[in-house]
Amino acid sequence: MKPPHDMGGNPSQPIIPDKPDDKKFEQAWHRRVLGITIAVGAMGAWSIDASRYARESLPRSDYSKFSYYEKWLGGLVNLLFQKGFINKNEIQSGSGDSIAPLEWRNRVLSLKNVGAVFLAGAPTRRDGPKPIFSIGQKVCAKLPLDTLSIKNGHTRLPHYISGKAGTIIKSHGVHVLPNTNAHFLGEHPENLYAVEFKASVLWEQNPSSSDTVVVDCWESYLEAG
Amino acid sequence: MTHDHDENHVHNLLPAEPALRVKALETILLEKGLLDQQAVDAIIDEYENRIGPQIGAKIVARAWNDPVFKSMLLADSEMVLREAGLAGRQGEHVVVVENTKKVHNLVVCTLCSCYPWPLLGVPPAWYKSDAYRSRAVFEPRKILFEFGIDIPKSKSVRVWDSTAEIRYMVLPTQPKESIGLPAPELAKWVTRNSMIGTGLPLRPVGD
Repeated sequence: MKPPHDMGGNPSQPIIPDKPDDKKFEQAWHRRVLGITIAVGAMGAWSIDASRYARESLPRSDYSKFSYYEKWLGGLVNLLFQKGFINKNEIQSGSGDSIAPLEWRNRVLSLKNVGAVFLAGAPTRRDGPKPIFSIGQKVCAKLPLDTLSIKNGHTRLPHYISGKAGTIIKSHGVHVLPNTNAHFLGEHPENLYAVEFKASVLWEQNPSSSDTVVVDCWESYLEAG
Repeated sequence: MTHDHDENHVHNLLPAEPALRVKALETILLEKGLLDQQAVDAIIDEYENRIGPQIGAKIVARAWNDPVFKSMLLADSEMVLREAGLAGRQGEHVVVVENTKKVHNLVVCTLCSCYPWPLLGVPPAWYKSDAYRSRAVFEPRKILFEFGIDIPKSKSVRVWDSTAEIRYMVLPTQPKESIGLPAPELAKWVTRNSMIGTGLPLRPVGD
């Protein structure tokens, strides 16, 4: 079954565009979730891939029900628990049992380092082998299931391109592979490509034959077409 | 769902009301010495008051006014933006895609809500909505219509699904009426949505 976060192609509601005077954060607590998530993330205990996986693996009912920042918060609490930063009793009581080990406290993001964290980000480009596929080459996307490194694991291959043929239009260089990195199984960097699919190949009903969808795919997501 | 899977899910042990849930987590982290509140405040301040679509708009305006800059930007956005100090968090690897007479570009992230934060700031609610994430790849023209844009059949729509750490920003077509204006004036024409692809540049209000 397609996981709930893999939304591309689902029938859904009309879009409600925002208005110029809409607030950047709808609720005050949204900005706290954002700030805490980034601050804790800067301790370097996990990657963006692990964060995404934590959000995706929220129970299906929660994923559908939670707003954007509730998903962030749910994923963050679960990651903090899984990595041993906070325990069940603390989560239940809403209060810290004990001071964290010095080793962790030394990694806490301080005010003076916030600017550097923003500027540096977390680049995913790595050195690596030359690409196997070339620009203009026909390729076929694998099944998401066949790209997982663990059962029910993480992949960035969406179902709607699964088994479909597309064309390599751009080579992005070598990037960290989320399928292993999300599970703390190493970065295993791979070549990454922009693959263009004709809308008429992806969807049965499509009014315009010239429209296309471009999806970034790691080399191991693709087979020669 | 397996028992093993459930054991990793402790988020529902926090209070149900989200504002209280955040407060509880923040308290735990502060008491354990795992969070510096001033750092959290500074992060929020950056996104609330400094980082926003005016940054992307400056890049677009410069590209409109300076053909050499534009060709460099389209050839290697990542290098140009890094040199400008704009390749930070969630914009480490940006590719700028140009709207032309033949192509209209639209950016989405179907798997989560990836967005070029250093150039456009926090993503708007609609960009993060299930509706946009679901529909942008299979009925982009309908979505554009909901945003008030009718793309002629003669043009193709190219949707960029941000599945990796590449972030896409659209370089919209410069309106004819704005040609010749200095870059700071031009930047006012560049709307946030025109850099996502769900809008077009607009004459600034009051001009």
